Amino acid sequence: MKRSVTAVLVGAAAFVALAFLVLPVVAIFLHTTPSHLIDQLSSSVVTDALVVTLETSLIAQALIVLLGTPTAYLLATRRFRARSLAITLVELPLVLPPAVAGIGLLTAFGRSGLLGTSIPFTKAAVVLAVAFVSSPLYVRQAIAAFEAVDPDLVSASRTLGAGTARTFFRIVLPLARTGLAAGLALSLARGIGEFGATIMFAGSLQGVTQTIPLAIYAEFGAGHFDAAVAMSAVLVLFSIVLLLTLRFLLSWPRSSSTRSWFRFGPSTSG
Amino acid sequence: MKLAVAAAALALLVVSSASPAPQARLTVFAAASLTDVLPKIDRSPRYSFAGSNQLAAQIQQGAPADVFAAANMTLPRQLASKHLCSKPVVFARNKLVVIVPPTNPARLRRVADLARNGVKVLVAQPGVPVGTYTAQVLRALHLYERVMANVVSKETDVRGVVAKIVLGEADAGFVYATDAKAVRDDLKVIAIPASAEPGINYGICVVAAGGHAGDARVFVKKVLSRAGQRKLRSYGFVPRR
Amino acid sequence: MAALLLDEILVPLRSFDLRLTLEVDRTVALVGPSGAGKSTILRAVAGLVRPRAGRVEVAGKPWFDAAGGIDRPVDEREVGFLFQDYALFPHLTVRQNIEFARRQTAEAYLERFGIRHLAGARPGELSGGERQRVALARALAREPKVLLLDEPLAALDSRTKAIVRRELHDLLSELDIATLFVTHDFEDAAALADRVGVLVEGRLRQIGSTQELVARPADPFVASFTGANLLHGTVAETSNGIARVRLEDGTIIATAEPAEGHVVVAVYPWDVVVATEPPHDSALNVIHAPIRSITELGNRVRLAVGPLSAEITSESRRRLQLSAGEVVYASFKATGTRVLSRAEAAP
Repeated sequence: MKRSVTAVLVGAAAFVALAFLVLPVVAIFLHTTPSHLIDQLSSSVVTDALVVTLETSLIAQALIVLLGTPTAYLLATRRFRARSLAITLVELPLVLPPAVAGIGLLTAFGRSGLLGTSIPFTKAAVVLAVAFVSSPLYVRQAIAAFEAVDPDLVSASRTLGAGTARTFFRIVLPLARTGLAAGLALSLARGIGEFGATIMFAGSLQGVTQTIPLAIYAEFGAGHFDAAVAMSAVLVLFSIVLLLTLRFLLSWPRSSSTRSWFRFGPSTSG
Repeated sequence: MKLAVAAAALALLVVSSASPAPQARLTVFAAASLTDVLPKIDRSPRYSFAGSNQLAAQIQQGAPADVFAAANMTLPRQLASKHLCSKPVVFARNKLVVIVPPTNPARLRRVADLARNGVKVLVAQPGVPVGTYTAQVLRALHLYERVMANVVSKETDVRGVVAKIVLGEADAGFVYATDAKAVRDDLKVIAIPASAEPGINYGICVVAAGGHAGDARVFVKKVLSRAGQRKLRSYGFVPRR
Repeated sequence: MAALLLDEILVPLRSFDLRLTLEVDRTVALVGPSGAGKSTILRAVAGLVRPRAGRVEVAGKPWFDAAGGIDRPVDEREVGFLFQDYALFPHLTVRQNIEFARRQTAEAYLERFGIRHLAGARPGELSGGERQRVALARALAREPKVLLLDEPLAALDSRTKAIVRRELHDLLSELDIATLFVTHDFEDAAALADRVGVLVEGRLRQIGSTQELVARPADPFVASFTGANLLHGTVAETSNGIARVRLEDGTIIATAEPAEGHVVVAVYPWDVVVATEPPHDSALNVIHAPIRSITELGNRVRLAVGPLSAEITSESRRRLQLSAGEVVYASFKATGTRVLSRAEAAP
């Protein structure tokens, strides 16, 4: 008797949780007819937002990979005294509220800020805001991926006459590849959805700085609910594709070593 | 299988009974420019300050507000025509001004100077009342195209414009006189010629979905009362008559 | 001029310091318990570990000199390193693994190690023995000046081990490279090396040919490591140059070496004669007890008889028709023992 009561309660909780997660997503697509949604997609607000988002996201993620990969490799392979501090700093934007990130960017790079630049209100500002909030997701994953590469393989490569660069590109990178890709997918997803820091630091101007999330908010406020829904639908579809890619990558057979490689974040030992 | 049905039924029961019970406190949705003054008129309600258009959209989606105080009459009238709130009344008036950072980096003296090349201008998004008023002013002064070409950002509400001008991030912004007065030490004001001033009428109405109609009407009375009007005036609003 | 010279190398480890001076001309094995610092030495030669002091010289050229500030980078040292788990690159084929060392010689090495047919396979598809051959081929493809092997036979099952040991022995004989390898198995060391060094807690206790180590162990640890029986007891009486030692279980052992007080008597398993009848020779020590266990080691057999391990040929065992539980006579001469004092006895 007791057993089935527990089962019912657990089942009820699961049902509520799943329904809660699924409903908003499904509702977006049930709002109007698909053709109406597609009509919305051809409006200039939507196309401008898509272009701005695409441009700024790609540049931001490219910057993150370029600068974040060597950083992650350093943090993964070198043990130095300030290592845990460095890792904490890298992870900080992850727990910072986006609005706080926006304030931080303004006080650092604003016209009257520490560095006094003319970056605010430009596309570059969007790139910076997006990069700031999403980079920890990539770097953390990259550190874990690099840590999972068997150090003996790196040593072996060196003893076979390969310098550090050749070892990195021919041995470490291929073996860490799937972990890095997973990190990039997470970072991309976070970056595309960024709102708070962007609106504070870059402002919102159609065709220049108005990304999809900003456009959704603006269209909602202007009473163009359908346009807001259409853009939301686009983002939902994109997120689903991203998620499926992520899951596919994670199920890739482990080829780096006998050590398990998918950890959420770097090891804190050393 | 029976277990699954029982579980789903229980879940729906729990969820449906979770609809909000009427609460004691009032919920007031108000324009961002009323952030400082309304709580001084009545401290007890829960306030949500944002661009009036955002709030109107939320009410349209069923947000449980009791009172809607907007920076124009258009938005409350739209809601009233959909029977979402009562017939709105004007409770205050305002003026539009241009604000610049205290150091006035672009050396602006008149509204026309905003049309100069390279000046960074901030306005609110089109649906936000202050954004609409700005457009009206600029058209009246025949400066619309040139000044709009200098806009670097369209903020979600008037407070966003104020904040960024105070920080010195842009050269000029269009805000209400009341906002400028609130932070007068942190910026300079450029007046707009009276002839170009649009009629800015703030409207207030009782939201139908609120559930506290009685208390809501009491609140509206407070705002319209002598004491309420005095408070509004002290914050720079123009009385409704 | 030694092919490989380690001079006063000092590497501080977790619980002790590793200090070593060693010359390697042909093949030297370092044996010892795990944690003694054996792998660290190999890594120091390869440059993967930086000693705090000392020199590493190969064919007269300094690879590392703490005092002189010389530390050649790993990739510039011509070493062939065989890692314990082989460290084959899992994402590359066998051929690509070997080509990583040197493109031109890859084909020749595939041929030489008889792994041509595996050229396109990935390491994950290979057996233990095959992987070892690939790892060796890869290490040697670069024609290194020094060959370093870390527990070369540890990852193999006993059947493969015997085969590979023989192959490795042949390979090392025909190569003319200074080879240093570490192992915890004395049998492997004995089979493959010209000289064996016993490393305990960072210090070289003894180094010499296998025969020297077995015949004249410097201390009980070396003795036990090379397989000797260690019998603890107290000297009961001495007469005519023979000391009689009473063991803990009451047995009396006679030894021809000087002894007094508490002693440890070392007896080699191959010095123990096993018979089914009481011995008629001059052996003073006879143990009459059942065979506790029989362990086969290739063409030899170890028998546990009473407190002793005896080693005889499989042939002899068959001839005597010995089986576990059978009561036998295990005898050894008083001269076939070595006395180690208790002070030395702490390993």
